[in-house]
Amino acid sequence: MDIILLQANTLTTGANQNSSFSYFPIGVQLLFALGFVGLVLGVTHLLGPKRKTAEKLQNFESGIEGVGNARHPMAIKYFLVAILFVLFDVEVIFFYPYAVNFRGLGWNGFVEVLLFVGFFLAGFIYIIKKGALTWED
Amino acid sequence: MNELQFQALLPFIVLAAASILVILSIAFGRSHTFIQVAGFGMMCLVVLAMWLVRDALPREIAPLLVVDGLGALFTGLIIFSVLVIGLLSFIYFEEREENPKEYYILLFLATLGSAVLTISRHFISLFIGLELLSVSLYALIAYLRTRNNAVEAGMKYLMLAALSSAFLLFGMALIYLETGSMEFTGIARGLPSSGTPILFIMGMGFLLVAIGFKLALAPFHLWAADVYQGAPSPVTVFIATVSKTGVFAVLLRFAQAVHLQQYPAAMTIVVVISVASMIVGNLLALQQQNIKRLLAYSSIAHFGYLLVAFLPGDAAGAEAGFFYLLAYSITLLSAFGVITLLSTRQEDAGDLSGYRGLFWRDPVMGAVLAVALLSLAGIPLTAGFLGKFLVLGAGIGRQLWVPVIVLVLTSVIGLYFYLRVISTLFEKMPPAPARARPLHPFFYYATYAVLILLMGLSFWLGTFPRPAIREIEALLNIRLL
Repeated sequence: MDIILLQANTLTTGANQNSSFSYFPIGVQLLFALGFVGLVLGVTHLLGPKRKTAEKLQNFESGIEGVGNARHPMAIKYFLVAILFVLFDVEVIFFYPYAVNFRGLGWNGFVEVLLFVGFFLAGFIYIIKKGALTWED
Repeated sequence: MNELQFQALLPFIVLAAASILVILSIAFGRSHTFIQVAGFGMMCLVVLAMWLVRDALPREIAPLLVVDGLGALFTGLIIFSVLVIGLLSFIYFEEREENPKEYYILLFLATLGSAVLTISRHFISLFIGLELLSVSLYALIAYLRTRNNAVEAGMKYLMLAALSSAFLLFGMALIYLETGSMEFTGIARGLPSSGTPILFIMGMGFLLVAIGFKLALAPFHLWAADVYQGAPSPVTVFIATVSKTGVFAVLLRFAQAVHLQQYPAAMTIVVVISVASMIVGNLLALQQQNIKRLLAYSSIAHFGYLLVAFLPGDAAGAEAGFFYLLAYSITLLSAFGVITLLSTRQEDAGDLSGYRGLFWRDPVMGAVLAVALLSLAGIPLTAGFLGKFLVLGAGIGRQLWVPVIVLVLTSVIGLYFYLRVISTLFEKMPPAPARARPLHPFFYYATYAVLILLMGLSFWLGTFPRPAIREIEALLNIRLL
């Protein structure tokens, strides 16, 4: 019964929490997840109707007709902006959990976040002074 | 983090601040010379900070770090190597690259990663340190991006290091599965007191793949020669000394914490890797015509020797291991110092034919390189001999006959190719045309002076090792129980 519910019974396995058997439910869940994905993909592939027209086989470009090949050299600036965006994004990602725990972390947390922002700021100063964000040369 | 923990971490904080300082100096348009001097000053500050905190050790910064004697010792070696590498880098990058400044950010970050490895007592800090080290190294190896073989070397290192990180993570996961802890001490507590913990041994095997890759041990050595050859010479010596020192330190700490030596299966893996590295490294070095490739294969063999000191897992082994690394670092720094000074703008001085008659053209450089090679071969009076002697002593003390006998036999093979290079250095040849005056005389002669100093240090360690060994012993005893 316990295995079907994918929960270890703490009363019976409590004495032996760390044995490999206590990971058995995870293994069952893994098999279940793989089986579910395989089943759904396979069944829809077999049962679903297929109408292959030239338009359907094209890449979807928001309704605009596709032109040419995507693999041609692009200005490095796009990559720079994309990478710098990731940097800003990561900073923001760390702000959310801090904002939630603002009170709990107290002054210690505040100093740590200040340090973190300080390191980022050094990076931003570097980026701006290097001219990575100026679009026109 | 309380005040005392903060104090113990001071050297590492200064080290981290060094790269921030370099970033800001570049942003405000300082010259390469300014950054070089500032970097040197910051490294001196790190040494000063280490001097200040020496009485505050050992100190635990739970759960990630522990600053103890072992950490201090290996960090000291890392900082020493970086001081020399920083000096070698100035001329090298000033003359070859229009953007030499960002190099120092990466160099200090990689140093920080290696230093974090030496004090980590948790899988997370181990992984962060290792990634900090390797991600900086990818860029450092390919820093001269207009050279094809530098980019090739960087790509090869990137692919293989990423793969080995995957192995590392999977090994950590398996060990966590068995013991329920990521802390080294917690892992030791979580291991069953009797029997062979299968998952732990498997995890250890995966972990050793990653460690073997970083230390370039056979059979994970295939990247070594290409990366050593393709990378700029100062970066090559960084890979050979600093990065390997950090990884060896964390391996030593982990093995001490979990008492790895009581698991015969794990020890068999290490013995096989060690023996394979000694044989493969020395045999492949025999026919090399490029000195950077030759030193790459010799480093494979040397880390095989080093593992013999790791096998016993006692105080004598750790002491011998550190002394060996110290001797090896000094030797390689002086050898690569000569290579850096001889390199031309177009390519690094790799080809052995370029070294023909070096002693007669430039007696100082010839002598430094000859002593370095003798030390690598383990000839008495040099540091390399004493290192090998201590390693052999540690191995014989625990009756590890197979690795010890292989060590002795392969050392003889090694002697052949080291002496081959030395005989090239002393060949007679018609006087070469006078070389152009150095472009940066101050740094040129400073590098010269450092090379002579390193040669002297090698002799000093080889003849009067007692004070050094006593210091190592005392520092290794500063540890948390």
